[in-house]
Amino acid sequence: MSRIVVTGIGVISAIGNTVAENRTALQEGKCGITSLSLFPSRYAGLMPFGEIKITTQELQERLNAKEPGVTRTSLLALHAFVEAIQDSKLSDKDMRCFDTALIGASTVGGMCLTDELYSDANKSDKGSDYLASYDFASVNIYLQERYKMAGIVNTINTACSSSANAIMYGVRLIKSGRAKRAIVGGVDCLAKFTINGFNALHILSPDICTPFDEQRKGLNLGEGAAFLVLEKEEDAKDKKIYAVVSGYCNCNDSFHPSSLSDEGDGPYLSMKGALESANLSAGDISFINAHGTATENNDMVESKAMLRLFDTIPSFASTKSNTGHTLGAAGAIEAVYSILNLTYQEIYPGLNCKEPIAATGLLPVQTYQKRALQHIMSNSFGFGGNCTSLIFSTI
Amino acid sequence: MLYIHQSTCISAQQTFLDVDINTLHEAVDNKLKVIEPTYESIPPGILRRMGKVVRIGIGAALPLIRQATSLDGFIIGTANGGMEDCIKFLNQIIQYEEGVLTPGSFVQSTPNAIAGQLGLFTKNKGYNITHVHRGLAFENAIIDAIMLLTDHPGNNYLLGAVDEISAYNYNIEMLSGWYKKEPATCKELYQTNSIGSIAGESAVAFLINGDQANAVAQIVAVDHIHTSDISIIENQLKYLLQHYLLAGEKIDILLSGENGDNRLLKYYAAIENITADTTVARFKHMTGEYATASAFAVWLACELFQTQHIPAHIVKNQTSEKSIKNILIYNNYKGAQHSFILLKKEN
Repeated sequence: MSRIVVTGIGVISAIGNTVAENRTALQEGKCGITSLSLFPSRYAGLMPFGEIKITTQELQERLNAKEPGVTRTSLLALHAFVEAIQDSKLSDKDMRCFDTALIGASTVGGMCLTDELYSDANKSDKGSDYLASYDFASVNIYLQERYKMAGIVNTINTACSSSANAIMYGVRLIKSGRAKRAIVGGVDCLAKFTINGFNALHILSPDICTPFDEQRKGLNLGEGAAFLVLEKEEDAKDKKIYAVVSGYCNCNDSFHPSSLSDEGDGPYLSMKGALESANLSAGDISFINAHGTATENNDMVESKAMLRLFDTIPSFASTKSNTGHTLGAAGAIEAVYSILNLTYQEIYPGLNCKEPIAATGLLPVQTYQKRALQHIMSNSFGFGGNCTSLIFSTI
Repeated sequence: MLYIHQSTCISAQQTFLDVDINTLHEAVDNKLKVIEPTYESIPPGILRRMGKVVRIGIGAALPLIRQATSLDGFIIGTANGGMEDCIKFLNQIIQYEEGVLTPGSFVQSTPNAIAGQLGLFTKNKGYNITHVHRGLAFENAIIDAIMLLTDHPGNNYLLGAVDEISAYNYNIEMLSGWYKKEPATCKELYQTNSIGSIAGESAVAFLINGDQANAVAQIVAVDHIHTSDISIIENQLKYLLQHYLLAGEKIDILLSGENGDNRLLKYYAAIENITADTTVARFKHMTGEYATASAFAVWLACELFQTQHIPAHIVKNQTSEKSIKNILIYNNYKGAQHSFILLKKEN
């Protein structure tokens, strides 16, 4: 069977508006987690966020996206989507044909418009422009309509592993013959809904997050989007090929609605399953882009699961110390970062970890390094026990 | 190959356990709310914390889980998940000005809470996913299931779909013109000649695998498209019939998603035109309109296969009394999302 390869990438996050800007920021160990300057929230001065410093209006101008009802979530998605399809040189005809699929993920959708949604849900006089924009599917339906796409379009929500599952689903669609190519990714933007939700769970850090540090205090929420163009290797002969999507596994921790089991069965099984699907052994993995949210629970459990699976733990780091936790976008953003690792044969420092977790002693990569890399694992774990691991490999 | 072995449905009709679909339960205030069972097997403490969508989703799935010898994962379609909890939490955010809130509603409101809770309940560490693509959430879940069974024909999965009416999404859909402003009844839903439908909800679950032996039905094909162009939809149906019906076979029943919204009649008329000489039956007067109503239609198709009896109230026009072997479901969500599901009777 033909391998499924990545022929285009696009990303926007708190550390850059393009793939190139994101790479430079990762090389320099830049942290995009700051005080809120655009998003209005009571928590603006109290905790930092991975906010993209472009107003929604400016995104509309730049993207010439002024349709009524378009949300910030859809605009961030469009920004990354355009970069990915241009990178892969997809023509208008490619976009419109029935075998180009779009698989996107979002956990916030149009709920970023908390106040408008509150009003539309509770009042009966007249609705806002956003009545059709609140649900999760609204983002992909917007992209589909804008590009007149005729192939399979789907939206996946498995909380923080959503876009990792979108990538996995795109690969499976192509392998099954239901699509010739798939544009896959995810988006989430800052929303009072998620800020207050995570705050109520007491897992937001008042300071900049410190993944895998003994003294970690929780996660910082971020916003962003990323898309990848997936094709069969044989259909991409004339194209720049970034990487192969060589392994994937979705499984469930089945322990608790909002935290991972002590033994980390879900993370262990998703990493192990991804290795099996890629026909690799643990020793083949060159680097792990960890889920690494910097919550007490995640980093301990993920570390333990890595110790269970790997005789020698590969180098690892969490780019959530750069971008914050972008929820439904995280899996796709980190897939792009993993692909950058492979393309440029380099690894980026995990920020802010000074003291390894005492029980595990694992320290993320501390410095930028050139390194021979062949297989990179990317982990995404979410509420509902939804765990997904992906493996990207050099061509 | 996707074979349905067992199915359950919690709906506004008497569809759960002791099934009687010959008697029609009427809507109240233009809403067809589900008849909830007593959930004896869910511990009361856990039941109390569950939002409605999680409760009915698990309620529908549990009888099938008990019968399954093994389960390899959960594939759920839901457009909105726990809308009631979602807006409850949103209202807290606004009313308490982002003050100290309790996380229960937040956790219950994430759409993957249904599949997640099913995994948790059954200690099942297998495949677990939630498709949320509005009016095609269930159709995408079926495609996922077909792909899984193609790769792992020996596996068993629970395929399901859940959506709920909440006061809030009712308001949003009403403002958008998708629900009728004037009082309407199920009995006369198709004679209203006005815009909008009545609100609905259900939880449907199927035990599926790749084994034909003892199956109730096979999902032969599923196809969906986003368009408002009738000719594209017509071509898609013609293609599907050509490719998936064996020579000499025809559709015995067209299960039409007609919902009393006069703006959408043209789509249903075009489809009925292509499947002419086929018995047409409708189901939205039993369920009301919501994003995953097509899952109810699949449950109903299984019921028709097994009983070989078409309740009088679902018939739009009947061409002949013959055995029911092939059923085609055509559904249309808000005039933009169209789907075809072709089912074949087994055993």
